Amino acid sequence: MATAEKVFSAPRQTILRSNAAQKLLAFAALIVIFVVFSFLSPFFATTENIVGILLATAVNGVLALGVTFVIVTAGIDLSVGTVMTLSAVMTGLTVSLAGWPVPLGILIGVLTGSVAGLINGLIISRMRVPPFIATLGMMMVARGLALVLSTLETGTIKPIYFNDVPLFRQLMMGSVLSPLLAPVAPDFNLPNAVLILFVAALVAAFVLAKTVLGRYTVAIGSNEEATRLSGVGVAGWKTAVYALGGTFSGLAGVMIASRLNSAQPALGVGYELDAIAAVVIGGTSLSGGQGTILGTIIGAFIISTLTNGLRIMNVPQEWQFVVTGLIVILAVYLDILRRRRS
Amino acid sequence: MGDLLLKMAGIEKSFPGVHALNQAQFELRAGEVHALVGENGAGKSTLMKILSGIYSKDAGSVRYQGKEVEISSPRAAQHLGISMIHQELNLMNHLTLAQNVFVGREPRQPLRFMLDEAKINAQTQALFDSMHLRLDPRTLAAELTVAKQQMVEIAKALSFNSQVLIMDEPTAALTESEIEELFRIIRQLRSKGVGIVYISHRLEELKQISDRITVMRDGHYVDTVDAKKVTIDQIIGMMVGRAIYESSPEVPERPDQAVVLAVRGLNRGTAIRDVSFVLKKGEILGFAGLMGAGRTEVARAIFGADPIDSGEIFVKGRRTAIQSPRDAVRHGIGYLSEDRKRYGLAVGLSVEANIALASFEQFVGSLGVVDDSKVRSIASRYVDLLSIKTPGIQQMVRNLSGGNQQKVVIGKWLTADTEILIFDEPTRGIDVGAKSEIYRLLNELAHAGKSIIMISSELPEILRMSHRIVVMCEGRITGELSAAEATQEKIMRLATQRSGMVAVTENSFAAKAKVR
Amino acid sequence: MKNYRIVMVLLGLLLIGSLVSACVAAPAAAPAAEEAAATEAAPAEEAAAAKPYIPVISKGFQHQFWQAVKLGSDQAAADYNVDITFEGPATESEVDKQIEMLEAALAKNPAAICFAALDTQAAIPLLEEANSRGIPVVGFDSGVDSDIPVATAATDNLAAAALAADKMAELIGGAGQIAVLVHDQTSRTGIDRRDGFTNRIAEAYPDIEIVNVDYGAGDHLKSTDLAKAVIQANPDLKGYFGANEGSAIGVLNAVTELGKVGEIVVIGYDSGQQQMDAVRSGAMAGAITQNPIGIGYKCVEAAVKAINGEEVEKVIDTGFFWYDATNMDSEEIAALLYQ
Repeated sequence: MATAEKVFSAPRQTILRSNAAQKLLAFAALIVIFVVFSFLSPFFATTENIVGILLATAVNGVLALGVTFVIVTAGIDLSVGTVMTLSAVMTGLTVSLAGWPVPLGILIGVLTGSVAGLINGLIISRMRVPPFIATLGMMMVARGLALVLSTLETGTIKPIYFNDVPLFRQLMMGSVLSPLLAPVAPDFNLPNAVLILFVAALVAAFVLAKTVLGRYTVAIGSNEEATRLSGVGVAGWKTAVYALGGTFSGLAGVMIASRLNSAQPALGVGYELDAIAAVVIGGTSLSGGQGTILGTIIGAFIISTLTNGLRIMNVPQEWQFVVTGLIVILAVYLDILRRRRS
Repeated sequence: MGDLLLKMAGIEKSFPGVHALNQAQFELRAGEVHALVGENGAGKSTLMKILSGIYSKDAGSVRYQGKEVEISSPRAAQHLGISMIHQELNLMNHLTLAQNVFVGREPRQPLRFMLDEAKINAQTQALFDSMHLRLDPRTLAAELTVAKQQMVEIAKALSFNSQVLIMDEPTAALTESEIEELFRIIRQLRSKGVGIVYISHRLEELKQISDRITVMRDGHYVDTVDAKKVTIDQIIGMMVGRAIYESSPEVPERPDQAVVLAVRGLNRGTAIRDVSFVLKKGEILGFAGLMGAGRTEVARAIFGADPIDSGEIFVKGRRTAIQSPRDAVRHGIGYLSEDRKRYGLAVGLSVEANIALASFEQFVGSLGVVDDSKVRSIASRYVDLLSIKTPGIQQMVRNLSGGNQQKVVIGKWLTADTEILIFDEPTRGIDVGAKSEIYRLLNELAHAGKSIIMISSELPEILRMSHRIVVMCEGRITGELSAAEATQEKIMRLATQRSGMVAVTENSFAAKAKVR
Repeated sequence: MKNYRIVMVLLGLLLIGSLVSACVAAPAAAPAAEEAAATEAAPAEEAAAAKPYIPVISKGFQHQFWQAVKLGSDQAAADYNVDITFEGPATESEVDKQIEMLEAALAKNPAAICFAALDTQAAIPLLEEANSRGIPVVGFDSGVDSDIPVATAATDNLAAAALAADKMAELIGGAGQIAVLVHDQTSRTGIDRRDGFTNRIAEAYPDIEIVNVDYGAGDHLKSTDLAKAVIQANPDLKGYFGANEGSAIGVLNAVTELGKVGEIVVIGYDSGQQQMDAVRSGAMAGAITQNPIGIGYKCVEAAVKAINGEEVEKVIDTGFFWYDATNMDSEEIAALLYQ
């Protein structure tokens, strides 16, 4: 019995002492931002606007999930934005131009991301190219390929539309939940994209906390050499982490294509920075070893809530960048403070 | 003592420029603690890293449990039951103890890809219980002291059913009571028939814990002796052996002269403890000790590179508050780091730029423009004076040999008009020919009235060069010897003389500090 | 060993690329390839070396508008038998990249240069060099703000946006709240379209209030989320003007997602399939179209004339048009729209 007690009391203790502090802080920040905007504008805390915020978080949130894994290994992935675009274009090509079934097109889109991530991983772990450089290269390669592939239809760079496949847009923008929620909240028209974000987050959280891959992600980020000396095939697992990150980018690609009802080949540059910002605000340390999915999701929500709120307040947009930037710095500084104390 | 468990014979290993192991051998019986000793660089760690699969041997054989084995990776070693606990601890701070113990071979749930957290916690708890360790498997590794982390590493090694356990300097960061705890566990393991290889510099410990002692020197096997029948002096004698380059000390006689630097009661955490000494004009003062004895820390503290907790520094009789290297340079102190490439030189810059680096203000004209011709003339002068072999003063320092790089650093500090030069391992990585040139240069500098502190781990070098020798161990000065009375044996004895009177609280604080 | 790995990875990349193209290109690429072959084959038949070379340096490349400009200049090149290259920086903030392109073009000793400046001042020294070497410069789109160009083929963005303002006023009945979404606050077209629109509203329609002017970088997704927030904050909004293709699509998405189609008058700019479909369905009231193909064609044409010493008009107005569901299929308009 005594051991059982110990087992249950111990994690609570450690959680309070470590990660939870920042997670709580980030969550508190989100609440504060929310409350402040609610007071400042009657249009902020409406059901529709909240759904808008959720929807605006979907793509960046899913990208950030993948980036979380990579950053926990003390790596970085700059290619997520353009890999997302490449995946979107691949889905467009298969579904819209080649007329393949939608599920197959989605699978190909997601797998495109996985393959790009796998290549990132191989370059990093086998060829020993630093992650920053390897993924910077992949960022450009994916961007170029997305543009090239988009010329296949007409010979000029052109978005690929999904007008012939109305089902595709419904995937993200339709709502499987609405019929279920209708009796309780008839207005609450929660798009599938939001649902997918949450399901993806749950999967990611499960992988990070409960699976071998998650364990080695943390172990590698905490002490790569020690992990290697423990007999873990570090190169292989690292590759897997980047492939997983790429898979999330692929999913984000399908999501953005569905939302915009088109694969926009010129999009995606700069999305990686928003994703990294979300991860960092969520308390994941760039030096590796620690980070949580919940934190990342909160971080992504902080960014989109701020963006939305400042728009609603009609604050000049330039200031939005200033505010987001300050929050990123503050989040990292708090992380440093916390670590210095412990 | 049980049956022969392991026999390594004729082991050869070379790294670029170093013949690290030359026909090294070692044997281990079940249920014995076999100590492996030798000076820094004697090859102990290399030999054990070969045994634990981190390095591959160039030649030789390893027989384990009667069979010839090839150990190709740490994993292969673990499978054979050979585990090594490294000097620098190898736990993942962000994982729990149980997760650390089982990293790499986690029990999985029926679905294969999922971890069975409950199972590893239970197994780790059982493991801890069997060692009588009171630790919760679910605590994060970061929250433990070094001593406790070490216990966890041992537990991890045992969880492989290890028959051979290699411990590299396990007591380096432990307090007396923690060492007792460690020894208790070691004895417990020995009684269960585990063979333990124990690498340590602390010779008095060996008598307590080990059954046999193997001595290595310069990559060679020297001898294996019964720990009960050997004296510490005999062990030291075997470790030191004959000096490699035996030459009559070139210590020029110096009459006592004015004290230029006096250090009193210097303290910094546990790295420097109550260090006091004086340095006289025109003197070479040798700092001897084993690695990690605190010599570099003292040098850095005097140079203002690290803050000190307490203590006074007097330069030419005047008390000075040196807060930063900049202050130190102003007071005429120069520090030549042991790691030239990282701290001493900008290897991507030219010889002349490096020589002018520490005293750039001299070369800057009224408009903030660098006076190139002045830089050039001074650089050329030192290149001649120090006979730096370089195609020209524009040559990038990266392209010079180690010895010439060292001379460039010396030139840099001479340009800065330093009176006190602290040389940290001045001949490390320099070939024998260039070494004697550096020695000649040091002597000339001393003759010219510069005062020199020379930190060196090579005893022959210390003996040959120094007028006086200060020996450090674990942050303290354990003795001072004149050139006349110093021998390798005496230095070695002082360098391994641990203080038995250290307060436990202070030490456990040190352990925590190390974790950080 | 290392080399082997690099080769492996490159091979992998290639494999994926070609697989992908092979899988999906089969039905789609055939006509494209033929088309490309047709345009390339014509010049190849003649003595390539003798043809005058005219670099066309645009403000962008990836966006459909620039692709349409490229199409026009390619046509002119074929018609007048000259060699052109068409290039432009990835975003409209990369002034430095564009200057590098201009430098590189000058180094190739061209017969003439077609240039749409991102930043006129930054390009002046190079343009003066071209001038002194007798290389005619033809401006297009936002043109070059100096006397050096022998001609400029451009849309009058100020006037075009003012037309959008007039249409907006007409469609919302001359009173109410409206908002504007622009691609950026620093580029010439962004500034002109914003000012052309807002100035016209301020001058002519005192009962119309512009409640918000925002910038979405022409990014479809960001523009969508941005416009949604603006619509949320202004429930009485009657009209929304998107000043380029990405902005217009963003506004359109926002209105659609919030179920406000029909309540908010959406006016766009340029074309593209999505806008055209929306105009046809009525989700978008109408849009301003420039004549991008004409811009590309006219600037190359003017360059050819300048090379041959012919007289060229200083300002070539390539025109702009309002299109909506009623006229978009007319011959005049349909020719200007690109999918």
